[in-house]
Amino acid sequence: MTPFLQATVYGLLQGGLLALVAVGFSLVWGVMNVVNLAHGALAITGAYFSWQLHESLGLDPVLSLVVVLPVMFMVGYVIQRGLINLVVNAPIWMTLLLTFGLEALIVNGLLLAFTGDFRSTRTGYSTNTLALGGVRIPYARLIAFGLSLLLTVALVLFIRNTKMGLAIRATGMDRTAARLMGMNVRHVYAVTFGTATALAAAAGSMIGLVGTFTPVVAGGYTLQSFVIAVLGGLGNMWGALAGGLVLGLATAWGALYLSGTLVNAIAFGILVLVLIVRPSGLLGKPYYEARAEA
Amino acid sequence: MAATSARPGMPESESESAHPELGAPTTGPPKAAPAGRTTASQLAGWALVLGLLVICLLAPKLFIPSFLRTLSAVFMFATLAQAWNIIGGFTGYPSFGNVVFFGLGGYTIAVLMARSHWSFWPALVVAVVLGAAYAMLIGIPTLRLKGHYFAIATLGVAEGTREIVLNVPKVTGGGAGITVPAVGPSATTSYPGNTGFLYYFLALLVVAMLAVYAIARSRFGFALRAINQDEDAAAAAGINTTRMKIAAFMVSGAITAAAGSIYAFQQVSIYPDRLFSVDITVLMVIMAVIGGSGTVIGPLVGGVGLQFLSEYLRQNFTDYHTFIFGAIIIVAVVLLPEGAVRFASETVRQRRLPIMDNLRRYRL
Amino acid sequence: MAGSVLLTACANSGGSSSSSSGASTGVSGDTVTLGAAVSLTGALAREGILTREGYDLCTDVVNAKGLQIGGKKVKLAITYQDDKSAPDTAGQLIDQFNDKGNKLILGPYGSATTEAAAAVVERNGQVMVDSSGADDKIFTKGYKRTFAVLSPASKYLSAIVTAVNDLATPKPKTVAILSADDGFSKTAADGAKTEAGKVGWNVVATNYFPSRATDVSSSLTQIRGLKPDLVLGSVHLEEGIAIIRQSRELGVTPMAFGETVAPPTPDFASTLGPQAEGVLGSSQWTKEGKGKDEWFGTAADYNASFQQKFGREPEYHAAEATAACFAFVEAMTKANSADPNKVLDAVAALDTDSFFGQIKFNQTGLNIYKPMAVIQIQQGQQVAVWPKTDKTSAMRWPVATS
Repeated sequence: MTPFLQATVYGLLQGGLLALVAVGFSLVWGVMNVVNLAHGALAITGAYFSWQLHESLGLDPVLSLVVVLPVMFMVGYVIQRGLINLVVNAPIWMTLLLTFGLEALIVNGLLLAFTGDFRSTRTGYSTNTLALGGVRIPYARLIAFGLSLLLTVALVLFIRNTKMGLAIRATGMDRTAARLMGMNVRHVYAVTFGTATALAAAAGSMIGLVGTFTPVVAGGYTLQSFVIAVLGGLGNMWGALAGGLVLGLATAWGALYLSGTLVNAIAFGILVLVLIVRPSGLLGKPYYEARAEA
Repeated sequence: MAATSARPGMPESESESAHPELGAPTTGPPKAAPAGRTTASQLAGWALVLGLLVICLLAPKLFIPSFLRTLSAVFMFATLAQAWNIIGGFTGYPSFGNVVFFGLGGYTIAVLMARSHWSFWPALVVAVVLGAAYAMLIGIPTLRLKGHYFAIATLGVAEGTREIVLNVPKVTGGGAGITVPAVGPSATTSYPGNTGFLYYFLALLVVAMLAVYAIARSRFGFALRAINQDEDAAAAAGINTTRMKIAAFMVSGAITAAAGSIYAFQQVSIYPDRLFSVDITVLMVIMAVIGGSGTVIGPLVGGVGLQFLSEYLRQNFTDYHTFIFGAIIIVAVVLLPEGAVRFASETVRQRRLPIMDNLRRYRL
Repeated sequence: MAGSVLLTACANSGGSSSSSSGASTGVSGDTVTLGAAVSLTGALAREGILTREGYDLCTDVVNAKGLQIGGKKVKLAITYQDDKSAPDTAGQLIDQFNDKGNKLILGPYGSATTEAAAAVVERNGQVMVDSSGADDKIFTKGYKRTFAVLSPASKYLSAIVTAVNDLATPKPKTVAILSADDGFSKTAADGAKTEAGKVGWNVVATNYFPSRATDVSSSLTQIRGLKPDLVLGSVHLEEGIAIIRQSRELGVTPMAFGETVAPPTPDFASTLGPQAEGVLGSSQWTKEGKGKDEWFGTAADYNASFQQKFGREPEYHAAEATAACFAFVEAMTKANSADPNKVLDAVAALDTDSFFGQIKFNQTGLNIYKPMAVIQIQQGQQVAVWPKTDKTSAMRWPVATS
């Protein structure tokens, strides 16, 4: 029983973190119909940012978010305004290609700037664990998990209760109508992408806190974001959280009871299955289906 | 829905212009495409193809040997881009997992030659048939999905298939890879060498070009374009859209599997990570799109151009080449979203460089 | 002239295994150029760059001391190309080197790329000294032109078994082996399993996870209940770090951990901090190793010159790269020529001492003298603990796990 509980707890913690990686990806996809292949690279950029702050200023990775979040928001804002907005109306694969180019640029840039060495943001508490019977819960992962929940809730509140959130939702549903209502769609899109980038960077900081990273792992996080976003339904924030948890649990259980080498097969099996059986995601209708785009 | 998902957000000012003939611009006044111009641009295109063919046949005498290998890679990627073009460009279903057929073809060859001691040619036939069959198998459920959903589903299939290949090491060698017996007594087919593979890849490229040319002019091709424009309307017009889409996917899969087969034989040792690499899919898409997806010669132009470019960058900017390549892709996407071929024909038609047109059309 | 060379080359490009009529001496002007395809981007970028540093140090040192070939002083140079961590690109690069007259090839990083390169080297009649492609598979194909200065994969993890069996009291009785699922790691895991059987330990679990995984918690959860005395990891750096870190998180507490590849790299100790304490690792080279040569001196001297150039201590990836380059330098000096066929014979006949230990190749191209060393992380530093002839420190056993 203990192995099962342990795997469950670990799977949930890992899933929560992955959800934070994916939530911004899902938001961008849902609102703008842009599949951002550079998402993982932006998350890893956040990891380096946070790591650098910890190395040179001794800033705790959680605390460093005070700097990382706004700066990465601006980075995302500029990328959208200066680049992605230029091709938003082109056929869908154009944005895929654009963000692929961006990914190559960022990953190679990080490699040149930081080398390929593995990094980890090591804090005083990163080795400690909380033991509950036979089940052990590492503090660092618990913090990362808590932060994921917190930021997801904050995002939902932002989208639901603020004027800008309303604008984002409206634009995601019908861009032309939003424009006619006097919204500055360029700005709204840029804010959306900036928000997604900031959240990805926050997730990156947490990745550095609980494990290791190097520029070339970026692609793997993008792939996982794909799976989670589809599981949860595009643009559905709660869905992303649920999708992350489901993915975390499924891979943890699968690795425990089937084979450790099957974790990726399980993830992609779930992805294909959900797409075929229930393309709108686990939690009902996504934005995309409801959108009227012109 | 079909139209919006294939080309989301065509600005309202733009009518959903058909592609009445090859190489015709997607946009601009869609009134009856002037037949003469199209034929001329087609002739020019085929002259280019023929020229390339002649050069390539002479290549072993003209160029240094390592160039043969570079050229083989160029042909292979042009073929892959062309195969993608059938499903992605003509039909408008952006497969993001086409590499699965490449890997499947490669592993079919490797397993049959290494484990069952087949020779190359019968194994190639099996690989091609398997490629088409697998396309049908995954096409039936996934081709019901549209736009990004289809892209992601095919990506998932490709990644999942790689994992399966990794997890049956008894057959495939797993992560340790598998080696085709190419030399010595266990070799079933003598190794054709760099020149031989150049011809194999060239032959396959010619087959792919001819196939796409034939498709483009056939009722089948018109059906695919109709699906691309508006699937519901196509169905209403009496096209069996499901069957057409699956057929297109099968042709794409068969050609891609053939490329993977030759590649596996050329490489001798193959590994799942490389044979199912998402990077290969991305290259297919980039080459097809930057050349001009939905045109006959676009993928050839894109494949040849980009493969040479990336090769040149890698040789001359050892540390920075992916950085530069990434930047070039970004610029190309922003300035040539319709592809080089359409850009060129627009330039000829309008007698000016329409660089900013696309930017104006697609920006927000 | 150029035309006739071209034609000859074309005629030979038919792909038969015939070696080309290498009239080229490899010396153009007064420079000898070696070709090296290393991974500067892609999954192996990190190790590829470390390998390049080892090669760079070699040219620095050799040129500072002056290389004499055929009675004149020549400069040693290396041209690098990025194989993007892809085996097919590595093969293509070897062909390109061949056309540029680079017949002497320094190996890429990694087994897959090395295997692809070795096949092409054989076909083109080039010569390659492999610095890091360790999978035993490469050396079972009858290649005559690829030589490896390093120990093959099967020795990587079994060396730790032998070392622990030699040095530990009390000896462990049970061992769990965790392995990545790539070819190199699986070969290493199999080697350890065989060796553990020989010394009479009970292998309670052999568990695989995807290569380059950063989460191995499920494998650890599975072995936790078995309470193995020793946990062995057949891994690269990221899985190696994950095993140690997540074992701590999950309360897997064997007498000790032993891993391939990861512990000797500097990121291991710097990333894990105190958690790295006591972890055993296998290494191709340590600065305490015996042996010396006229170019690099002893292992300690090598350590010093590397530190002077790069500002940090070398780890074994760099050392084995330098050793591969050294093998060429030594062979060229012995042959008094850079002609590929003469160098091939000289490399094959090489029997020399070096900062990397004694180097002599057998029929399959493996270095017959090469032992693996075992290191342990003590006070954040890696110290050699085995083989006993080299050791500077006693192995700490059992490792206290707090």
